[in-house]
Amino acid sequence: MLNEEQTWLEQARQGDKIAFGKLIEAYQRPVYNLAYRMLNNSGEAEEAAQEAFIRAYTRLHTYKPNHKFSTWMLSITSNYCIDLIRKRRALLLSIDEPLPPHPALMSDKQKGPEAQIMLSEQQEMVQSLLQELQPDYRQAVVLRYWHELSYEEIADMMDTTVSAIKSRLFRARRQLAEIGVANGVSPVPMTLERAAV
Amino acid sequence: MEHEHAYTLMMDTLDGELVAEQQRALEVHLRACPSCAREWQAILAIDRLFRQTPALAPAAGFTQRTLARLPNHKYRVWTISSLYVALLLVGALPMLVGFWAYNQFGPVLSEPGLWLNLWQTAGEAIQVAVTVVSALLIGAGEFIVQEPSVLGWLLVLAGIVSLWGGMFRQLIVQPRQMSGSA
Repeated sequence: MLNEEQTWLEQARQGDKIAFGKLIEAYQRPVYNLAYRMLNNSGEAEEAAQEAFIRAYTRLHTYKPNHKFSTWMLSITSNYCIDLIRKRRALLLSIDEPLPPHPALMSDKQKGPEAQIMLSEQQEMVQSLLQELQPDYRQAVVLRYWHELSYEEIADMMDTTVSAIKSRLFRARRQLAEIGVANGVSPVPMTLERAAV
Repeated sequence: MEHEHAYTLMMDTLDGELVAEQQRALEVHLRACPSCAREWQAILAIDRLFRQTPALAPAAGFTQRTLARLPNHKYRVWTISSLYVALLLVGALPMLVGFWAYNQFGPVLSEPGLWLNLWQTAGEAIQVAVTVVSALLIGAGEFIVQEPSVLGWLLVLAGIVSLWGGMFRQLIVQPRQMSGSA
């Protein structure tokens, strides 16, 4: 996979769009997921994910192979989303618009209708909790939980220190716990085992 | 154990970085401190919820839609190169013209009386312009004093022009805007 990825990257640098298409296929899910978790709107998330890939394509010559391509892509995406959120605030637009149904959830044929409804409710709960966090806390939480990045990688991406990231995650988790319980998330019986995935 | 230290250990537990000794210390604290125990249960619930929530994928055809938006690499290189050449020419042309003019007119420009004469000529030209404009204004003023009805006619003319402007906007511009928004 990594060798293939290097080949695609080299070809894409030469302007080969088919090779870049393979990179899009490989990374569309994490890029879109990050954009959606940050922006909470499927249309804006699609637009942001596309824009992130376009920026990556036009800046491929600046990509350093000593970093993972996935981390570089997520960095471009999260910076773009943070810029969008700042612009939203500047324009005083409401971010409280209702969550549009997500096509991936609606078209999951493998799950029964009940499971689909439960999953949809779970996604809505997660999104509503994430929206309670300030953008840089939300960014750290999403990168940690869905993209399993290390503290060092998140700090590098957000141009800050590891201790700052630990502090943001610490505060974000406490804040989420407080809001979550107030909104009906059932506390888990006490255990020191890490929550099962 | 301080509450803050307990929170740090809770975070280390979530990250899987807790050693056995710290785990025992946290267990003891959680049994003794109901508020920390409640908070730990809530934090665990959120952690579990987030870990069990799958990543979302874009709608089908995302790759094709993104590829269609990618800029043409060759066209971009050509455009940027052309822009650089144009900027170079914009800077170089005046410089070349300057060199040529200096070579052609250098001896004439270095004559001592030239600048003084030019200055005098410019001053005289400004004086002539001021005289002509003031004569025109005075003439117009005297004409209006002798024939005040001219002022009335001018006002009527301005009214007619304004009226026609309004009608033009109503008849021509507005229907186009409406058809554009439809």
